[in-house]
Amino acid sequence: MRALRSLVIAHIRSYVRDRQALFWTIAFPLIFIFLFGSIFSGGTNRTKLGWADEDGSPSSTALREVFSSASLVEIVDGSRADVLEKMRHGDLPGVVVIPKGYGDQVAAAQKGTGPPAQVTVYTDPSQQTQSGSVKGLVGAILAQANLVGRPPAVVADLQDLQTQDLNAVSYLVPSILGMALMQLGIFAAIPLVADRQKLILKRLSATPLRRWQLVGSNIVMRLIIGLVQMILIVGIGAAVFGVKVTGNIAAIGGLAVLGAVAFTSLGYVIASFAATEDAANGMTGAVQFPLMFLSGTFWPIAIMPAPLQAVALVLPLTYLSDAMRQVMVNGAALFPLWLCVAVLVGWTVVCFAIAARFFRWQ
Amino acid sequence: MTATARAGDAVIREGEAIIRVGDVRKRYGDVRAVDGVTFSVSSGQIFGLLGPNGAGKTTTVEMLEGLRQPDSGRLEVLGIDVARHPDALKERIGVALQTAELYPKLTVVEVLDLFRSFYRRSIPTAQLLEFLDLGERRTAQTRHLSGGQRQRLAVALALVNDPEVVFLDEPTTGLDPAARRALWSLVEQLKAQGKTVLLTTHYMEEAEALCDRVAIMDHGRILDMGSVGDLVSRRFQEKAVQFDRIDGLGDERLAAIAAVTSVRHDDGRDLLYSRDVPATIRDLLGISEEMAVEPQNLTIRRATLEDVFLDLTGRALRD
Repeated sequence: MRALRSLVIAHIRSYVRDRQALFWTIAFPLIFIFLFGSIFSGGTNRTKLGWADEDGSPSSTALREVFSSASLVEIVDGSRADVLEKMRHGDLPGVVVIPKGYGDQVAAAQKGTGPPAQVTVYTDPSQQTQSGSVKGLVGAILAQANLVGRPPAVVADLQDLQTQDLNAVSYLVPSILGMALMQLGIFAAIPLVADRQKLILKRLSATPLRRWQLVGSNIVMRLIIGLVQMILIVGIGAAVFGVKVTGNIAAIGGLAVLGAVAFTSLGYVIASFAATEDAANGMTGAVQFPLMFLSGTFWPIAIMPAPLQAVALVLPLTYLSDAMRQVMVNGAALFPLWLCVAVLVGWTVVCFAIAARFFRWQ
Repeated sequence: MTATARAGDAVIREGEAIIRVGDVRKRYGDVRAVDGVTFSVSSGQIFGLLGPNGAGKTTTVEMLEGLRQPDSGRLEVLGIDVARHPDALKERIGVALQTAELYPKLTVVEVLDLFRSFYRRSIPTAQLLEFLDLGERRTAQTRHLSGGQRQRLAVALALVNDPEVVFLDEPTTGLDPAARRALWSLVEQLKAQGKTVLLTTHYMEEAEALCDRVAIMDHGRILDMGSVGDLVSRRFQEKAVQFDRIDGLGDERLAAIAAVTSVRHDDGRDLLYSRDVPATIRDLLGISEEMAVEPQNLTIRRATLEDVFLDLTGRALRD
């Protein structure tokens, strides 16, 4: 145990002092989160509002004018079904629907012969910040519009709409956690090959240290770093980009551990076939980039061409990221969770079997 | 575990053979790296395997360390059968490999503490640092060490478990003369502590300066073995007279010079082994005067291991 603990500490020290490893496993995923996070968060401070005009009267057009002239609002026009669908997908934080007959109601209200006209405003109460800002905006603009005629001619009929699907950032954060775990695992190959090339592994075999202790220490070290990645990425996603983590943290941690082990086993396969540190670097890159771009990390697999979708189906990161999205933010499932876990376990077993057969200690 | 413990308990008496190698062979493809090697090392000795690169020294040592399996033959260290109980053996031996690179991003102290954790018994880090004069570099990462410091760290790592037998593979290769002498004095201190040391080298001076016994190896075989004094005197009662080659002075003429027993050529120089140096010199000067030349770099010395090697293999041992 003492030897194992010392080795884990030694590996962590070497890792922390290795700028390249730190970059790919920590800085690189965080850069992606900040980059994509700020792109998909809208960039501007304007709130997008879905706008469905079912009345088509001069009054409804006038109300649209009032809204679109507000500097904080960007109007997205469409049919009621259209804009509500967009909102469900997380593309719009709120929707305003002008019901048929609105123009007449306004006219009546202004004459004092009828109640105020109603517009329907949809928000998602589970997205507190967004629904608050939409309600606030709509309220403020309507109040302004109502100053013209007194008593108030228009009131908001507030409706809740459950948005089920993820917005872009909520999709990205769990995917990038998957990517970070992938980098962490396959990068295990480089120090391993370097240690063999420098005959450090040979030197260790001249001590009473057992091989399982050496392999075990490598895996334990990667698990610890994997949990650190998870805390950083989930934490920043939640704190900076308002990603709502719905999953249980233990389940996310368990998945992170499984991912770290699965990709470390792939790292061992690379180390089994790379003779030199340079070769290990090249092979790691060759494995890393297809995994990164074809596993649905940055965009859903569904939007890729069919041949690439077929490739995605055999990549383990597809399953890790899918599972991570399901567990972390309750994202739509591509595969059942049990299948994702089974595929990752299968990959781990196969990879370690290959490494056990081909890995050379000297 | 019980078998291991029993093997490990074997008691070695003072002066008894602590390393036994019996007709060990190892081949790589068509190359017979080690071709029937037999020797033994007594407790408390410094034993040297001397030979050029590729002689089979490293393969022999690595088989004794349990790092390589012999094709045939018997290897025994501290009474432990190396092939059967390598783990029991590894607790009790110290090893410095030929290349001494270590976790480059760990400091000297971190590497020492790491290796100490592998053994049941270990020497305090402070004591190792002092003994190997690495105290000033204790917090330096190993990639920043000089060649000599790195080599001393490799020796320190071979000593963390206070081993009874220490294997040093080419411990001074690539070191400058000062660093080499510092390492020699370390090895002598190990002997003073009662440890048995087996080292390989291709430096004659190193074998002469350090080793109680030397085995001369070439092409996977041991050509001769004994103390340096014995190895030399067994072959050479004579002294060596050496001078730069003189054109037109052939071997026949040289062999006919008074008191000369044999003639050798070594790297542009002629070597005469002489029973009576004054007679030989007188004769040589007479001949050169006749030829109107003056012998250049004329030296007289007693025979050394270098001469033994030349005599055994017909070539000089140089890197």
